[in-house]
Amino acid sequence: MPVIYRASLSYLLRHPWQLTLAVVGICIGVAVIVAVDLANSSARKAFLLSMDAITGVATHQVIGGPAGLDETLYRELRVARGLTNIAPVVEGYGDAPSGPVRIFGVDVFAERAMERFADLDSVATDDDPTSLIGDLLTEPGAALVSEATAAALGLRRGDMIELVTAGRVHAARIIGIFESTGGAADDVLLTDVATAQVWLNQPGRLTRIDARLGDHPDAVARFQEILPAGTRLLSAAGRTRATTEMSTAFMTNLTAMSLLALLVGLFLIYNSVSFSVLQRRGLIGVLRALGITRRQAFTLVVVESAGIGLIASVIGVLVGIGLGERLLVLVSQSINDLYFRVNVTAVDVSGLSITKGMLAGIAASTLAAAVPAFEAAAYPPRLALLRSTVEHRARHLVPLIAGLGVLTLLVAAATLWSSARSLVAGLAAVFLVIFGFAMCIPLAVRGLAILFERPGRHLAGLPGAMAISGIATSLSRTGVAIVALAVAVSATIGVSVMVDSFRGSVSAWLERSLQADVYVGAQGGPLDPEVIADLAALPGVAHVSSSRRARFEYTGGQTDVLAIDMAPGSYAGTEIIDSLDVDVWRAFDAGDAVLVSEPYAYQHEVAPGDTITLPTTSGDRIFPIVAIYQSYDVSASAILMSRDTYDRYWDDTAIDSIGLYLDEGANADAIIAMATAIAANRQALRARSNSDIRVLSLEIFDRTFIITDVLYWLATGVALIGILSAMLALQLERARDLAVLRALGMTPAELGGMITLQTGAIGLFSGLAALPLGVAMAYILIDVINRRAFGWQIDMDVGAGVLVSAVLFAVLAAVVAGLYPAWRAANSRPALAMREE
Amino acid sequence: MPITLMADTTDIEIRLRKLSRAFSEGKHVHQVLHGIDADFARGETIAIRGRSGSGKSTLLNLIAGIDVPDAGSIEVSGIDITKLSERDRTLFRRKHVGFVYQAFNLVPTLTVADNIRLVLELNEVTRIDANARIRELLDAVELSDRADSFPDILSGGEQQRVAIARALCHGPAVLLADEPTGNLDDATADAVLRLLDQLVRAAGGTMLIATHSARVARFCDCSLTLAAGKLMAE
Repeated sequence: MPVIYRASLSYLLRHPWQLTLAVVGICIGVAVIVAVDLANSSARKAFLLSMDAITGVATHQVIGGPAGLDETLYRELRVARGLTNIAPVVEGYGDAPSGPVRIFGVDVFAERAMERFADLDSVATDDDPTSLIGDLLTEPGAALVSEATAAALGLRRGDMIELVTAGRVHAARIIGIFESTGGAADDVLLTDVATAQVWLNQPGRLTRIDARLGDHPDAVARFQEILPAGTRLLSAAGRTRATTEMSTAFMTNLTAMSLLALLVGLFLIYNSVSFSVLQRRGLIGVLRALGITRRQAFTLVVVESAGIGLIASVIGVLVGIGLGERLLVLVSQSINDLYFRVNVTAVDVSGLSITKGMLAGIAASTLAAAVPAFEAAAYPPRLALLRSTVEHRARHLVPLIAGLGVLTLLVAAATLWSSARSLVAGLAAVFLVIFGFAMCIPLAVRGLAILFERPGRHLAGLPGAMAISGIATSLSRTGVAIVALAVAVSATIGVSVMVDSFRGSVSAWLERSLQADVYVGAQGGPLDPEVIADLAALPGVAHVSSSRRARFEYTGGQTDVLAIDMAPGSYAGTEIIDSLDVDVWRAFDAGDAVLVSEPYAYQHEVAPGDTITLPTTSGDRIFPIVAIYQSYDVSASAILMSRDTYDRYWDDTAIDSIGLYLDEGANADAIIAMATAIAANRQALRARSNSDIRVLSLEIFDRTFIITDVLYWLATGVALIGILSAMLALQLERARDLAVLRALGMTPAELGGMITLQTGAIGLFSGLAALPLGVAMAYILIDVINRRAFGWQIDMDVGAGVLVSAVLFAVLAAVVAGLYPAWRAANSRPALAMREE
Repeated sequence: MPITLMADTTDIEIRLRKLSRAFSEGKHVHQVLHGIDADFARGETIAIRGRSGSGKSTLLNLIAGIDVPDAGSIEVSGIDITKLSERDRTLFRRKHVGFVYQAFNLVPTLTVADNIRLVLELNEVTRIDANARIRELLDAVELSDRADSFPDILSGGEQQRVAIARALCHGPAVLLADEPTGNLDDATADAVLRLLDQLVRAAGGTMLIATHSARVARFCDCSLTLAAGKLMAE
């Protein structure tokens, strides 16, 4: 290693705390990026893997309406048309004692053409395989599970498990165990079509027919021609893609949050590198005098920083893999709550995620070192570049940097204005706003220091004034630390205001939309019609509303239709945001008119007066949109249709849930007890009062934002390390000044108090600087990011509590981070400090 | 007339012509060097004396190419360094100039041997040659047993001897010493000056020592005084 690099390395090793803090800062940033990326990609990969596994070699899938396909269609295609490359599937979810399972009903004879996850001819058995197939066909409740599932649940052949579907209990007997690679079929209970139909209460119906048609357009067209009206032929890959794309916005937002942690880490490494350069200004002057060129000085600092970035990134990647395991639980939980079922328990460590993390860490370190490196290169080859010279330069640069900040903010505004619906552009604007504000902060700090110097003097005499004014006179050090903490605190403000506003809007929406007193449904399936009739006849029940959610798939996407039969007087529960100048509810009840939810209208760019084409049982039909309604439902992107309209066009009588409107004085809990009792032995109901549903809904809401909380606390952690690093650096820099104060008679306690006052003021300035940035971030998160990602419009509610607690948090955090530097400075030996200088 | 210390002009190592340098302090301009003309011959050792702030260090910085004059020219080893770019001045200094400072200015994170090696490496001396040269110089400054020590455990005299070895290791044509004994006691200072004189003479280099001490000047071939921006013979 060249001697100048050895000198640099040796310097770093002699300042281990400085090196450690820089490494930790960037390490956390990289760890969060890797963790989020691994969690996202693992969840996505697990989903794709399971979709691949259950799709097999099928290239296309025939699907029907909400009630699926009539099984006679399969017989007709197979027998009458002589098609052999097709296979029926009945698919749904049930609850096993271990958790949710995917029930996958197949025709064992047709399966050979599909080459799916289970090769039935090689299923582990002591018996003749044909006997196994016979059992699957003839024995009610016979099923197979994967090896991993069997191992995890301690199942052996012959064991019985209890399975609950749509509130009904069934017995499943494990008759075989099949091999499964990559965990793709770990949540699958493989059974015969007939058994699945019984379990899922879909007599005579198929979920779909898989077909192996290849990519030849003629083959696809020919197949399409023989399909009856009300059915659609979709490409299997397209269906998978459309489903995974639903979660893209969610994952993009998580990635943006992870970048925030790295951004704060970037400030931290800038702080560390610029401090190390500043501290070595004499040494760099000597090296320059000995003949190293500016380019060599620049390269030295950049290479040193890149080296730190490399080490930190390696550690960050390792930490990120561990963190990713924990994050995966939260991510998959949210994906399960919001988008699609995904069964994933372990992160899939991909080279791409590691490369991204490594590149981000090294690039951030190198970028952060660029300014200090320029500074180092600009040092004249002299020996006495004074600290005051550096601060003098910093003071001159502050207004210029603030000007650049304002310019950056204007670019952010232009980006927001011109980018229409792009989520990525919206997120880029957030980062531009952060950068722009950050560049204005040092100037604001200078003003605040002047403003607070007098109170500081009142509070703690001359040392108090020195503590406050010291922040402005050491702006080259304190400025960056304040910016780092301010950015982290502003993120907490922005995210808190956004979450609080969102929660407030959801809560108000739940209050308004939950009009019934009791809601009844069954887990994973429709309600039994007889049970519905019995519940409607319960004493104390005045009216009943019903709801059915049907999903329609088409090439490149899917749409949910919510068919509802409203109770009299409950229409006000649906808030109309925009409508045609007509009687909306009359058109809704009497005609074919539909309402669309606000997210649907945003995502599909439709408005009242437009139309929607939906595939009905008798072919495509056009429905006019009369209004847009507000909805914060988990699957908010939906079309609202009256039950009468739905029944006119689809052959589906199922009802997913009902609302019971009680007579005045009737007790909801008593009705729930009666409902549960009356349905006993027929269907296990999920009956809840509207207040319970409100609580439960908000619990799910809060769960969705746990991951956001985790990420911004990590960013705050990085900022705290920044403060600690900056304060340690400051005390080291000022060792001689502090030693003089000690020599003049200041006690260690007084000195410690002065430094603590200074760190407290740094926290206060950071907190105050974070307020406008936090509110601006909240505005963009609510009005731009949420809108572009999910289509929701949320009323922004900036609570004073959030702002006050953010400032207090900043002060507290800074004081805590400053305790050790204060203790260290107070306990330093003045004689030694003066001699070392 | 320039100050000429040797009659034979072909042996002139450093030629200064109308050299001026001023520094601004607010609205006040302090003219440190004012139209200096001087020729310094190869192999000579010259003391530049003057009071604090008289411009001794500024003159050395200009000759080393660390600073640039406001007016005038500086020719060292036949090269007018005022016409060179910053980078070329750096490369020139790297090759032709050695510097010894009052505060030693050793790199604290490098060992004694590596402090010397740093300059040799910058001058692209091969590792084998560098090792030999380091051994030779450490023998000369009687610090062979401290090759692997870090500077902070050496005495002031030892540190300055390392600095001398570092300044001479690449055989510079010019050695500039700025108050080289300012931080040393008299006995150590004498020892360091003797060593410096001996090594520079052995190498045939030209040495300029900035000092305010008459005692230091006695070790040199001649002594000049810098006052009111002018260089004068004593």
